Amino acid sequence: MEQVGFIVWRESVEALLVVGILYSWLRASPEGRRGLPWLWGGVGAGLVLAGALALVLLGISSWLSDEGQEWFQALMALAACALVVQMVVWMRAHGRGLKRELESGASQQVGRDHWWGLLALVMIAVAREGSETVVFLYGTVLSSRESGGAGAMALAGLGGFAAALLTFWLLQLGGRIITWRRFFRLTEILLLLLAGALLVSATDRLISLGVMPTWVDPVWDTSWLLGTEGGLGKVLADFAGYRAYPALSQLLVWLAYWCAVAWLLRRASRAAAPEAGRAKAGAAA
Amino acid sequence: MNSSMPAPVRRAATEMRAWIALAALMWAGWLAPMSAAAADMPVYTLTFKADGTFEPARLEVPAGRFKIILVNESSEAVEFESLPLRKEKVLGPGVTSFVVLSLSRPGEYPFFDDFHPQVKGTLVVLPKN
Repeated sequence: MEQVGFIVWRESVEALLVVGILYSWLRASPEGRRGLPWLWGGVGAGLVLAGALALVLLGISSWLSDEGQEWFQALMALAACALVVQMVVWMRAHGRGLKRELESGASQQVGRDHWWGLLALVMIAVAREGSETVVFLYGTVLSSRESGGAGAMALAGLGGFAAALLTFWLLQLGGRIITWRRFFRLTEILLLLLAGALLVSATDRLISLGVMPTWVDPVWDTSWLLGTEGGLGKVLADFAGYRAYPALSQLLVWLAYWCAVAWLLRRASRAAAPEAGRAKAGAAA
Repeated sequence: MNSSMPAPVRRAATEMRAWIALAALMWAGWLAPMSAAAADMPVYTLTFKADGTFEPARLEVPAGRFKIILVNESSEAVEFESLPLRKEKVLGPGVTSFVVLSLSRPGEYPFFDDFHPQVKGTLVVLPKN
């Protein structure tokens, strides 16, 4: 029964992490609060999509074939990765200048496009893990109904979700205890690691679909040192894209990802610096 | 035509052409062996039994490309998962699906049911003879 709770927690925590971080970011400024309806809209859309995916996994609906599911999962992971990076870069470049920019109204359209990106990101994050949670709970509750323990199982599932909500709340608390600047940095790194993990999982699917080469497979075997079946290896796999048997192409994609992120962030910081300087000069005058 | 372009534009165009050529070369490089492997592939079956075990728990296959049909006979949802095999597949109660794998390296690849982590199995890839 603890296992049921744990699995539900594990499946919901990734989505709650994304939603939780974006929520704290948005809440930090009155301008960001305008994005909150988009955030909750994304959660709602994600739940609908999760339900639709769950019907496929349960074999009730077949709007996606087996190969279609693989493609869909791969594309969802790629889109989520791109949206996370875009979001982090945008926050880095506009975090300080957001207020003036929105007030001036000139970039209202840019802001609107950004909110759509936010909605899509939240939707994917919720749908990806949500569908598996639905299927898992459905199966667990259904099978324990025969043995009369359905209520207990449903309760265990709720307990897992409550634990995930607690994680969400701790994250919010974290945003209050440590300085905003540090919280921003920390969550930025967390999201970028997660985006890297999403990218690697997408390459896994693309390789097994046969549309991505491996070149050398595997480049190394570190399963003796850190396996990915459980414990730390599994956490690193889920949240940072660690693999015990990576293919060369995956390794190159992962390295290219971090180079691209470093370059984009440096460019965004450079763009933000003169803006902040101008703001300071304006305040002095 | 090139001579009328400013130097930086010309350089950028040349650079872009080089990238496109490189991409095409890489594409051709891995498509060639793929089409050869797509022919008849062996098929195996892995069953998630109602009593919470894999049947067989040790599945032996020759190196190469093959298909495993996954049958969930249990009344709960299961998730066939293996990072070494690059696979993750959720199956609702009573659902049948499949995975296609391509493994050239002989050895043992562990897999498990992510919804029941104590349920484990091993895929043994034998060297091609």
